[in-house]
Parts: sequence; structure tokens; C-alpha cells
Amino acid sequence: MLTLTLKSSLTVPLEAECLSPDVLAPLAHVAVRALPVMLGKRQHRLDDHFTVEGDGSDEIELRGDLSKVKWIGRLMTHGRVAITGNAGMHVGAYMKGGTIEVTGNVTDWLGGEMSGGTIHVRGNAGQQLGSAYRGSASGMSGGTIIVGGSAGIEIGMRMKRGLIAVGGPVRDFAGLQMKGGTIVLMSGAELRTGAWMQRGTIISLKPLKLMPTFATAALYNPSFIGLYAKHLARFGFALPTANGGYRRHLGDSSVPGKGEILVWQPTGIA
Amino acid sequence: MSSAVVKHATCTGCGCACDDIEVHTDGARVTRAVNACTLGETWFRDHPADSGEPAARIDGKPAPLADAIALAAEMLHAADLPLIYDHGYSTCEAQREAVALAETVGGVIDSYTSRCHGPSFVATQLVGKVSCTLGEVKNRADFLLYWGCNPAETHPRHTSRYALHPAGKFTPRGRRDRTMVLVDVEETATAKEADQFFRIREGTDFEALSAMVALVKGQAVDERRVAETGFTVEQLRLLLERMKAARFGVMFFGLGLAATRGGHGNVGAAYRLAMELNAFTKFVALPMRQHGNLVGSDMVLRWTTGYPFGVSLSRGYPRYNPGEFTMADLLARGDIDAALVLGSNAATDFANVPTIEIGPKLTPMQSGAVPRVQIATAATGVSAGGTVCRMDDLPMPLRPTLTSPHPIDEAVLKRILAEVRKKPAWYPMRSEAQIA
Ligand code: SF4
Repeated sequence: MLTLTLKSSLTVPLEAECLSPDVLAPLAHVAVRALPVMLGKRQHRLDDHFTVEGDGSDEIELRGDLSKVKWIGRLMTHGRVAITGNAGMHVGAYMKGGTIEVTGNVTDWLGGEMSGGTIHVRGNAGQQLGSAYRGSASGMSGGTIIVGGSAGIEIGMRMKRGLIAVGGPVRDFAGLQMKGGTIVLMSGAELRTGAWMQRGTIISLKPLKLMPTFATAALYNPSFIGLYAKHLARFGFALPTANGGYRRHLGDSSVPGKGEILVWQPTGIA
Repeated sequence: MSSAVVKHATCTGCGCACDDIEVHTDGARVTRAVNACTLGETWFRDHPADSGEPAARIDGKPAPLADAIALAAEMLHAADLPLIYDHGYSTCEAQREAVALAETVGGVIDSYTSRCHGPSFVATQLVGKVSCTLGEVKNRADFLLYWGCNPAETHPRHTSRYALHPAGKFTPRGRRDRTMVLVDVEETATAKEADQFFRIREGTDFEALSAMVALVKGQAVDERRVAETGFTVEQLRLLLERMKAARFGVMFFGLGLAATRGGHGNVGAAYRLAMELNAFTKFVALPMRQHGNLVGSDMVLRWTTGYPFGVSLSRGYPRYNPGEFTMADLLARGDIDAALVLGSNAATDFANVPTIEIGPKLTPMQSGAVPRVQIATAATGVSAGGTVCRMDDLPMPLRPTLTSPHPIDEAVLKRILAEVRKKPAWYPMRSEAQIA
């Protein structure tokens, strides 16, 4: 177990892609302390900003308000990063495996272009969860992102595979240009959900304002919802499978795409 | 003071960059700008040869230029994450120096583009774009669709010089050879010129344009949801028929698309529509860029770093991320610890950051948030020469008409750069032992 505590709050963001089990696990205490981090343009040592306890390990605990610390868990393939507090941009970007847990809030690009592993944020997240970086063809291609609170615009932009589930409300363009995978919106979304989607599934438990390029189809209870319900129950999300159905909307016809948006409709409500 | 007349001067009052202005001066200020619109004329008159500003100010007090330059270099060098912000009034030559400075001080560079047509670039990167120059518009376009813009007020000579009225090679009868349609949330002054005006419900451009893309592709749309945009499906179909029937169609869009909610999506939808129409005819989409030389700033950043705005050079190589490296977001999060602002009166945004301001008009003393260092320069286009870019990315040479006592932006930036280069580099240098 390796514990890192942020010494004092930051003004200029700290880029610390070394905070990943892949980098830290093989290192002894002294080597961990000497790892390079970038405070703006300045290269510092990790122990300039963190108190380090223990030797390198697959289990890493980060403490403090890390909302200005970027790139935690970048490219990680295994192990566990537990963040007690907030975290900054690009947490778990390009991640391939392992687990990241955050007790506080995170900001933009959580799990950007990740391909495996699990990220669980208890607080709120920013924009572009699991999205494609600008100029990149695909967003996340595997893995799971769970956010207990709210999220911003463009979650799952160009995602290919994997699961994003958000407990709180999300903003516009959820699943923009989505190519596959699943987004679960426990509290709905603002505008333009599923815009220009090619394939993939967006499930919403709250009514959505849909684009004119979506066609409304059947009300039904697809069997795969049960699988997601079971999986998401572990994170405290209850996906209903009885006393109602899911209204299926198909689009986006401007692509033309074969994506689907499933909106929960309890029995008795038209 | 001697009077003079300069022909074919270029106006940078808006993105049209009209280069047919005849400027009359009395040596101290511009007295007449023949051919310019009122916007352009005001812009010329607003910049006298001597702005009356001191050469430089430090902490609000007049100071020698050399001291101001030395302090500016010191601030940028000492900062962990400085921002170089271009307000879009400088020449391409100065902007090139700004990029070199950003690289040398390991900072972030951004321009006013991130607050206006930045989303149009993100849209281009999302979906691509079909474009052309204004010369082609003049000579070929027989169908003009203005969407979310008001050229009559923001680009007064756009219709008369480039788009609607001029006689072109394939549009010999000028206005009579062209059709113009305007889509906007309100009936603006531009509507008087249009053959047809559509009022769109605010905040539904993305939905309307996406529905049009679907219709062009022969796909179905939901009539009820289309109606929420203010258009009926039938109206969209008829508009599309007109667009398809054009020989050469152009869509001009403004901040009504780019700077409203979901701007990159709105512009992306416009670009997609123009692209899809190329299955039937020639169709392009162009942004109506604004003042000065913002386009030049994007061009310079693109050819030097590969990205149009919001570029971080803090790790020695360019990284681009709107939202992360754009001025408004950096300031909102308080990420930067020094800033250099190129262009006038932009410093109010930077009240909480030690700032260097370079421009023809300095933030006045009574405004509360006076930048740490202020350096007065000559006004681009009036007393400073160089190159600016028109809204269609074409470079236009400037013909300055007055002589300013102040140096040009480019010269000041070069001097700051030279000062910074005398100091030790910020990036980790390999020691002699490591190299051996
Ligand atoms: S249209 Fe624009 S560039 Fe042309 S004269 Fe008017 S303000 Fe100047």
C-alpha cells in the first residue's frame, strides 16, 4: 500500500501521469519520491507536492483536494487507485485495466479514450466522460465509468464500447456521434441527447427532450436491461425492470444511424 | 502636419478586410475613409497617429519602455504557467512572435477566437468542412443563405462587395442573378435585403439543421419535433429544394450559431448540411469572422503549432484542448499565474492575474483593474503595417497611413523575447555529465 497526501493546495495545475500503479508498483520508497511531475512548465519531484508513505504498490491511496492534479491513472493496466477527495482533469485517461475510485468530484475528460477497467466517482464529474479527444476518431472502447452525481456536456462522445452510468442529471450532447456502447442516465439529460449517434444504446430513467431526427418505436422491456440492472446494483443504481417499460427511439436519422434511446415509462403514464 | 492620401488601404474594422479604401489624413489622424462603411470609417478615425499614451506604464506610473520590457520578460519567465492571449488586433507578423514567446516561456497561447468562433474550429475537427474564398462567392454564387448573422450591422459591406450585389463572372447581373435567404431568431436589418426570411426559435438551430441533413439524405424526421424549431417540415423541404437547385450555394453563419448553446454542434450541423448538398450541387459554408485579425491569429497558430487556439506549450510541444487551455476556462479555474494580453483594453478580464498589456489603447487608470505592465504600440492598419487575414483565410497586406511615436506590436514582442532568451531555460537541461 502506497499513500500519497497532497501537501498544500495548488494554483497552477500539476500534471502527474506517474500516479499510476504501472509506474509506481515496481519502485522503492525513495524512487517514488523522486518521480517527476510538472507544475505548469516546471518539473518538480513528486515529494515536493506529496508526502509519501510506504513503498511502490499496486494499491495506491491519494488524499487531499487533488482537483488541480491532472492525468491520475493515465494508461494504467492493473491495480487500484483510491482517491479520498477531489481529482482533476483526465483521471483514468487511456486506462486499460484496474480500478479508480474517487470519493469527491472530478472534472473533465474522466476516462477519456479508456479501453478497460472501472472508474467509480461518488461526487460530480465534468464534461466529456469517456469521450474521444479532439481530433481522435473514437472515444472509450471498453470499461466502465460510474458517476454518482451529475456530469457535463458530451459524455461518451464517439464512444465505441463500454458503459457509462451517471446518477445525477447530465447536460447536452450525451452520446454525441456515439458508435456503440451504453450510456445510462439515472436522472435524464438536458438537450440533444444521442445527437448524430450511429449505434449504441442510451437508457434514461427520466423523460428526454428528443431530437427531430429520432423516430419513436415500441414500448417494451428488453431482456438485456436485466443484465445491466444486476451489474449496476453493485454501485447502488436501481434500473427498473417491472411495472413499466422502455420506450424505444431510433436515430439519428441525419447520419443515418441505428442508435437507440430507451426512455423508462412507468405503467399508467402515457 | 502634412496631409496625405493612401489608396487601396485595408480596413480591419470587421472580417471583410476591404482593401479598396482611400484614406485621407492630415498627418495626425484620418480625416476621411472613402469607400469604407460607417463601421470602417469609425475604426480608422478612432486611431490617431499619437494615442497620447505614455510609452509604457509600470504599476500605473509612466516608465521607460526598456524597464517595462525587462519587467514583462521577468514576469513571464518567473511564472509557472503564463498565458499569452491575443485579442485579435495584431498583424500576423506580431502573432508569429507571440507564438515564439509562448514557446520560449513555456506558456499557454490562446486568442479571442476561443470566445467567438472557437466552436467553429471544433466543428471542423468533428465533421470537416467545405469552403471557398469570397472571390468565388462573388463570381459564382447564385444562392446565399445567411444563418444566425446580421451582416447589415456587423459586416456592412459583405453583401455589397462580396456576396449579394457585385457582378461576377457567372453572375453578370449581380443581385438579379442571386437568391438570398436569411434565417435568424429575429427580423434584423439584413432581412430587408433577403428574398426570404425565416424566423427560427432561439436555441433550435442544431435541431433544424440536423433535420435538414436527414431530409437531404432522404430520411424521415419527426414532424412534431421539427415544428418546435419554428419551421414546418414542408418549409424545410422547400428551402432544401431551392438549395439543391442552386448552381453554387453558400451558407454564411455567424455567432448566432457559433456562440450560442452547443455552438460546435450548431456549426457542425451547418458544415454537414453544406457537405451533404454536394451530392446535388456545389455548396459551401463559411463563418462570418469578426474584427481585426482574429483569422490571422488562427492561421499563424495553425501553421506554427498545428492547432487554431487553446494551445499549451508548457511541456515544450503543442497540446490542444479547448476547455482546458482556453482563456475563459483558465481564468475561471485560476490556473495561470501571469498573462500577456495583446490588444487593447482586454485586461479587465485579467483582474486577478499579474498582467502585461500591449496595445494602442491602454486600460485607463480609473478602471480599477490596471495591468502591472502596460506598453503602448502603434495601431494595426492605421499606423502599423503587416499582414492580416480576411474571413476566408486570405492574407491581405496593410497600408498604414500615419506614423505613430510608438513601436509596433511585433517589435515589442521581439524585444521581450530577446530579454527572455537571455535568462536560463525553464525546461530541465541535461547536465554536461549526462551529455558526455
Ligand atoms: S465592411 Fe468591414 S472591412 Fe469593409 S469597410 Fe466596413 S468595417 Fe471595414
